[in-house]
Amino acid sequence: MGIGVCYGGYDLELGTLQAPGSGFMFFWVGIIMIGLSLGVLILAMRETAIPGELKKVLWTEIRWKKIVSVLAVLLLYAYVFTTLGFILSTIPLLIFLFKAVEPQSWTKAILGSIISTLTAYSVFQLWLGSQLPRGLLGIG
Amino acid sequence: MELLNYLGIGFSVALQPENLLYCFIGVFIGTLIGVLPGIGPVGAMSLLLPLTFKTTPEAAIIMLAGIYYGSMYGGSTTSILVNIPGEAASVVTCLDGYQMALQGRAGPALGMAAFGSFIAGTLSIVGLMVLAPPLANFALKFGPPEYFTLMILGLTILIYLAHGSMPKALLMAAFGIVLGLIGLDSINARPRFTFDRLELIDGVGLVPIVMGLFGISEVLLNIEQVIRREIIKTKIKNLLPSSKDWWESKGALARGSLLGFFLGILPGGGAIISSFISYAVEKRVSKHPERFGKGAIEGVAGPEAANNAATGGAFIPLMTLGIPPNVIMAMLLGAFMIHGVQPGPLMMKQNPGLFWGVITSMYIGNGMLLILNLPLIGIWVQVLRIPYRILFPLILLFCLIGVYSVGNTVFDIYIMILFGIVGYLMKKFDYEGAPLVLAFVLGPLMENNLRKSLIMSQGDFSIFFTRPLAAASLILAIFFLVSPLIPWMRKKRKEIPTEETA
Repeated sequence: MGIGVCYGGYDLELGTLQAPGSGFMFFWVGIIMIGLSLGVLILAMRETAIPGELKKVLWTEIRWKKIVSVLAVLLLYAYVFTTLGFILSTIPLLIFLFKAVEPQSWTKAILGSIISTLTAYSVFQLWLGSQLPRGLLGIG
Repeated sequence: MELLNYLGIGFSVALQPENLLYCFIGVFIGTLIGVLPGIGPVGAMSLLLPLTFKTTPEAAIIMLAGIYYGSMYGGSTTSILVNIPGEAASVVTCLDGYQMALQGRAGPALGMAAFGSFIAGTLSIVGLMVLAPPLANFALKFGPPEYFTLMILGLTILIYLAHGSMPKALLMAAFGIVLGLIGLDSINARPRFTFDRLELIDGVGLVPIVMGLFGISEVLLNIEQVIRREIIKTKIKNLLPSSKDWWESKGALARGSLLGFFLGILPGGGAIISSFISYAVEKRVSKHPERFGKGAIEGVAGPEAANNAATGGAFIPLMTLGIPPNVIMAMLLGAFMIHGVQPGPLMMKQNPGLFWGVITSMYIGNGMLLILNLPLIGIWVQVLRIPYRILFPLILLFCLIGVYSVGNTVFDIYIMILFGIVGYLMKKFDYEGAPLVLAFVLGPLMENNLRKSLIMSQGDFSIFFTRPLAAASLILAIFFLVSPLIPWMRKKRKEIPTEETA
């Protein structure tokens, strides 16, 4: 990344010391990033670690699938948000989130999602005047 | 006399019904997020920032400030009742507060935390009121070289105080500067690193980055493991501390208030550090240090006073110099700018209503917090019982709505998710988010002042060494940067508590 920033800065024009250009700061911060990255790399290589220990500490007993599924659903939500609109996209999102991590009954999940969505809609759209997307329902 | 006039102006602003309402909303939400684990004051402030777009700048800043100092009150409740700090600044309150609760003294512990917070919060506002005007007058003499070097110093101290590796913290700061500079060049309006995306012309938003780094990543960390919380089941009674409790705590309250206020002025997590240092000081000066960790009320009073006093101190560099000393103040700077106000030495003269209105609203807010945290403690105990499986979808929903509302663009949601992943990985690999966010906010200001300085000096870097304040700031910054190479300084640095160790 440091190299990219450095190149981008150079490409933007460095200017002179008397009149620094648009890329001046980028270029020098990029140089600093490269230096620091090398520093961090060298320090990491000097540390004596037991093979596999880091992996064990960072990633064991982690509910991987939960994290990946939540992220995937958030991305999907962002993708359909304006097309479907706030209400139609938020209710399924919340049902998934209520069910996904610590499973609850369908009734609780569906009711909770509808109540939360409508409450959020009333507060943000109707009371505070946010402009949430209307989407297919055309509500907003 | 002049101070009384200013106070009059301040109260006339703070007591307007709209501002009173926003002050209440701020301290209420502050207490709520202080009680709830999983969302901190930074996340809550960025979440509510879009709601302030239609209000006056006074109402906006009063509410956001209320969230900050309100969260310090709320954080102690979870520390005492659940042994889990709602906020990093309340970590040490767990040590004796929870022990007191186990001994059936949850009431006096909660009471002392609330009264201590109130006393210290009020004292720090007095300090802010007295110190801010002369400092703002002094800052009028500053030019671009002084501002540039002061920002370098602020950033360096924050990096010095960061947990773990300094090169990693520096790397995060450099990354933050690059992110902050994306968008149009402020001098010649040339697009930089925008990749032909229209959404990036105005730069990357502060809110999506902060929500991602501090909101989404926190949710991801919490759902990766099963969280169990045990709430003390004993009935909470006698919230008013006894005269013996007061007698034992008086010194701790005074020392905590002073320590917190002055440490709060320094860049880098003042509330957290001051609470830890206050605890260490109290243990050292106590005639019975063996009581600490076993339910000593001074162990609650001192740190709670310190973390609240630090919030008042933190406003000084922002309001008088326009330089935020920590991430939360960086958020406030963002809010000021959104409302077209530039905090700094001229703010007191150009916007006396805003300046003094915010300060006096803190008196009122502290009073509201005392009521919220003592008679209404039962509500917060009930809030604590909400399971995380219900809480996290709602936190995510608020993050999504909050981020979208800033610019009404889905692009910001993608940015937030991206920084959620980045923040999650940063926490895993021991990189801190605070230097990144502060550098993100300071980056454009630093660049501007650096370029102006070089234009002033016709490219001569000695301008940073020939002006006394600029030279002093740079020398101090260099000292902090090289200090890890000095063995005793390295040892001292490792002893400093930070949010990550909390």
